Amino acid sequence: MSATELATGRPQPISEATRREIEAFLYLEARLADESRYADWEALVTDDMHYWVPKGAADYDPAERLSYVNDNRARLATRIRQLRTGLRHAQTPPSPMRRLISNIEVLAADDVAGTYTVASNFVLYELAVQAGATLRVWPGRATHRLRRVDSELRMSEKIVELVTASQPQWNMAFLI
Amino acid sequence: MNNNYATLIREDRVHGSLYTDSQVFAEEMDRIFRRGWVFVGHDSEIPEPGEWVTRRVGIEPVIMVRDRGGAIHVLANRCAHRGNTLCWQERGRGNSFQCIYHGWTFGLDGSLRAVSHKAGFDRDRADLPLDRAGQVDLYRGFVFANMSGDAGSLADHLGAGGRDLIDRLCDLSPTGRIRLDAGWIGHRIDSNWKMWPESDSDGYHLDFVHASMLRAQPDNYYHDTVIGGESANISRAVDHGGGHNELDLRPSYARELAWLGVTREKVGAYCEALTARHGKERADRLLWDGPPHGFIFPNLFLGEVNVARVDPLDVGAVVHAHTVMQLEGVDPALNRRLLRQSEAALGPASFIVPDDAIIAERMQVGFHGVRPPVDGANARDGWIDLSRGRARERREADGRRIGHISDEVTNRGFWHHYRHVMESRA
Repeated sequence: MSATELATGRPQPISEATRREIEAFLYLEARLADESRYADWEALVTDDMHYWVPKGAADYDPAERLSYVNDNRARLATRIRQLRTGLRHAQTPPSPMRRLISNIEVLAADDVAGTYTVASNFVLYELAVQAGATLRVWPGRATHRLRRVDSELRMSEKIVELVTASQPQWNMAFLI
Repeated sequence: MNNNYATLIREDRVHGSLYTDSQVFAEEMDRIFRRGWVFVGHDSEIPEPGEWVTRRVGIEPVIMVRDRGGAIHVLANRCAHRGNTLCWQERGRGNSFQCIYHGWTFGLDGSLRAVSHKAGFDRDRADLPLDRAGQVDLYRGFVFANMSGDAGSLADHLGAGGRDLIDRLCDLSPTGRIRLDAGWIGHRIDSNWKMWPESDSDGYHLDFVHASMLRAQPDNYYHDTVIGGESANISRAVDHGGGHNELDLRPSYARELAWLGVTREKVGAYCEALTARHGKERADRLLWDGPPHGFIFPNLFLGEVNVARVDPLDVGAVVHAHTVMQLEGVDPALNRRLLRQSEAALGPASFIVPDDAIIAERMQVGFHGVRPPVDGANARDGWIDLSRGRARERREADGRRIGHISDEVTNRGFWHHYRHVMESRA
């Protein structure tokens, strides 16, 4: 599904049990990111994970232009490794964070393949404590591609389109 | 009030109030950013007639536009009638600029072309063009401007050192031309703008500020070029004069193409194309040396494959915006590699600059409440020390000062020129 198709996508009918499972995954992913539990968060991703925070809308090929974040699995591993050194000053100490997730829509579902594309809105509150104490608000829309691996859901892609994505961004060294 | 810069800036130390005094900031915006040459953008951003991007020169909003004849103009982004901002987008393309307030229309060269309901308009249209930069000039595609028009020639501003830095970047392209059209990523930081010419050319901080990056990326070329101990490392800090400076990493690259993180086999066609342009000896040299790490006064950072500009917002607020060099005449895969390399290094979620941003913000916090020195008890308070390596720096016949990579030669060079500008344009 292209970004354009996702933007105009209609929610797909899925079973109530699957919907709850998907929601539970999103909430878990959000909580681990909020609490800077890097290793636990990393355990949620597949070997082909793509983590993308575009500049502006996700309407371009990230291979061809600069993005805030455009991690393949190896780059994401480096990101997590850096955060876990304890010397990542931009997140030392880690920012206290909480995000709210809403407007969850399953835009593509294949129960046989075990793959789901899920869009949601979020608002993240971050207290940037590394050079003072500033409350920053990060609103946006997330698109998760989920895949069942050994009966458990994992994410193979997370795209984060910030409401402010066209404008300069503050330090974003946490997992968004 | 006129600040006495001689009391605030010594050869080996500068006073912290220079980062926090809003009067100093106002004088900088006039003397450095309005009356001196400032980097605005690159001609590859607006390749076609009618294309434009919005920028700032200092704190003044401008439009950089290409006209039908191919010339590049830097125009005030402000209607000549009542001052309404003309362009709101980051970029666009058109035949003219029309103000939506009363419909006045301006040509791509800034001339007033049409006034709505013209019966009531009794001026000469030629008297009401858009305000514009007094001088605009290009060096190898890099567009510079100064608003006042009395800053002398761009060649004199860049000097041999500044031109050499840009040459060494562009010469890595098989056509001699690079493109800066992959988009700009803005990084917003709560610090004074001068932290960035200082930090971007500081070779002393890497093993502390960037310890996490160095551990997470054991193959990063900074291990060879900047780290490794004071006696082992042979990279150099260079003050080119004119406020331009460089961390010269060339002496300590461990192999060719280390700056690109590949071996020759991976980019064979590129190496052949470069050899075809420059000959084997010079091409081999370029492939070993890579792009420079330098800062061109007052707002252009050349950070290996990255190009960044420093946009001051206010005395304690700045945007460090970067893009990446894209080479003409190479396999697209090579340019994609450069893009990925840039995403790792610069920007708000990258592995390097967010840690510099925290240092800059903590310095800004640290200088809160510092007052300019006066005779008496506080005359010794609030200084930063830039004396490192004074005794061992050497002065070349051409005026350059060269020291160890970890020495504050670069920072002293920046402040020396800053003081000269602030005093001579008072």
